[in-house]
Amino acid sequence: MTVLPVPTSGGAPLLAVEGLEQSFGGIMALAGISFQAPEGLIYAIIGPNGAGKTTLFNALCGFYQPSAGSIRFDGHELRGLPPYRIAALGMARTFQNLQLFFNMTVIENVMVGCHLRARTGLLAAALRLPSVRREEQRLRTWASEALELCDLTDRAEQPAGALPYGLMKRVEIARALAAKPRLLLLDEPAAGLNDTETLALRELITRIRASGVTVLLVEHHMPLVMGVSDQLLVLDYGSVLAEGTPAEIQADPRVVAAYLGGAVQYAV
Amino acid sequence: MRLAGFHVFAALVVLLAVLFPDNYFVTVVGASAGLHVILAVGLNLLMGYAGQISLGHAAFFGIGAYASAILTTRFGWPGLLAMATGLLAAGVIAWLLARPILRLRGHYLAMATLGFGIIIHVVMVQATRWTGGPDGLAGVPPLNLLGWSVEGDFQWYGVIMAAMLLAVWLSLNLVDSQAGRALRAVHGSEFAAQMMGVDTARAKTQVFVVSALFAAFAGSLFAHQQAFVSPDSFNLTISVELVTMVVLGGMASTFGAACGAIALTLLHQGLVVFEDYEMLIHGALLMAVMIFMPQGLFVGLSQGTRRVWRVLSRRRISLPSTDLTD
Repeated sequence: MTVLPVPTSGGAPLLAVEGLEQSFGGIMALAGISFQAPEGLIYAIIGPNGAGKTTLFNALCGFYQPSAGSIRFDGHELRGLPPYRIAALGMARTFQNLQLFFNMTVIENVMVGCHLRARTGLLAAALRLPSVRREEQRLRTWASEALELCDLTDRAEQPAGALPYGLMKRVEIARALAAKPRLLLLDEPAAGLNDTETLALRELITRIRASGVTVLLVEHHMPLVMGVSDQLLVLDYGSVLAEGTPAEIQADPRVVAAYLGGAVQYAV
Repeated sequence: MRLAGFHVFAALVVLLAVLFPDNYFVTVVGASAGLHVILAVGLNLLMGYAGQISLGHAAFFGIGAYASAILTTRFGWPGLLAMATGLLAAGVIAWLLARPILRLRGHYLAMATLGFGIIIHVVMVQATRWTGGPDGLAGVPPLNLLGWSVEGDFQWYGVIMAAMLLAVWLSLNLVDSQAGRALRAVHGSEFAAQMMGVDTARAKTQVFVVSALFAAFAGSLFAHQQAFVSPDSFNLTISVELVTMVVLGGMASTFGAACGAIALTLLHQGLVVFEDYEMLIHGALLMAVMIFMPQGLFVGLSQGTRRVWRVLSRRRISLPSTDLTD
């Protein structure tokens, strides 16, 4: 594995969110959120339960229709686009509640992740034209690469549902990476993992950044967040409470009061 | 070997024809089973793989059949052209229907497709000038395949089996491709599928059209083979039977659907003797399969055989050891 120098300030913002509002009935889940995630960094979003982290992810991906604001991704306005179009622009994600395709094997799951890189249509597939055969080979190779990056090569042919929970979460990451995204959204990847798995996850996230993918991370596991992220955004009640580096956030008295509930030192 | 199962299946079909060329059961019941296999395999793409239900699939079967019957008898069109027109009509209707209908889920989708099936059936009964009404249309000419007129049970067995193998082959190819994986993804998690860049509305529309084409294809063959069509062959009962075949065979398996179709066809044939009790036995068998083999006959029987085999082989090993202790 090649270790690239860890960037600290990043380049131009890949994702720029401006005044994003999301209301459900009378409830403001997101009350005007603005932030910029620079390209090439690990940008974490933390906050207490119900702060609006997953809502924010769903709004970014096009599953919710935000009531106001703008989401600019690599120069494109995402608001109003359906999820599959947003995915085509180079955004991929994993899910807080596993959304694996349990009716398929591990490698098939990851091959679905390559969907945007597939070209052949339904008719060609039904007739099994030579172009389809070649594409199958290509997709299989790409999926294998993603599996290898996530240390899942030996699980490729197993049914996705037969894997232990920690590995299922890894398959989701592999599936998202198979799309060759520029921005990867990870929604609580450490939830339900044991310490060893969390350590491996941290190493994997670092590897993903090193491969040039910008990571947006929602996570409750503080040692992981503080250890791996370059920048943090703290949400509370649907608003931005603070933004900064892990050291700045840990020293911020507002964050400590609202979120951490007292002075806590993190062993990272 | 990706197509090993397919080759075995094809070999069986040929073997049956070689061994029993004059057997009514093989040529007539077999041909009927073949048409059911085309229907079930097509519906399975929609139900088993994409996870969408259709309770009105007999309508597409009927559209194919009536298109062939009307165009050949009333307008004197050649059979293949009429068949192509029937396929086109079924495809266009399915496409128009898919967008509004497939936005519905679960019970609502079932109700909408059910309604569609009933409407088409009503049209068959009421549009007497075109369809002949409840009496149906007789005198559909034999299918003419580039100068060869298909006549007699044995020839029809051949044509329908070839069509069936084509349908199975297309289905196997489709499922084992990126398009097929996208369909299964829609079934597994529509949410995640969209995030992988799958246009789920488009994928569902496409598979709905494909399964309608399979049904219309079977319908067109059916009209020529029977030389007669009537609304009774395309009513709600048939739609439900098609769903039963797919479920019986075990969803999300092409050969499962094929087995379900064959099993149900044979069951009907076997129950002809007990005509009065047919529905009763039919129902009881279905319940038994659902309770004891929820994954369907195909998976259920193969697991059952394996279990019996294991018990038998264990007995064979244990026998000599008891001899020794004696």
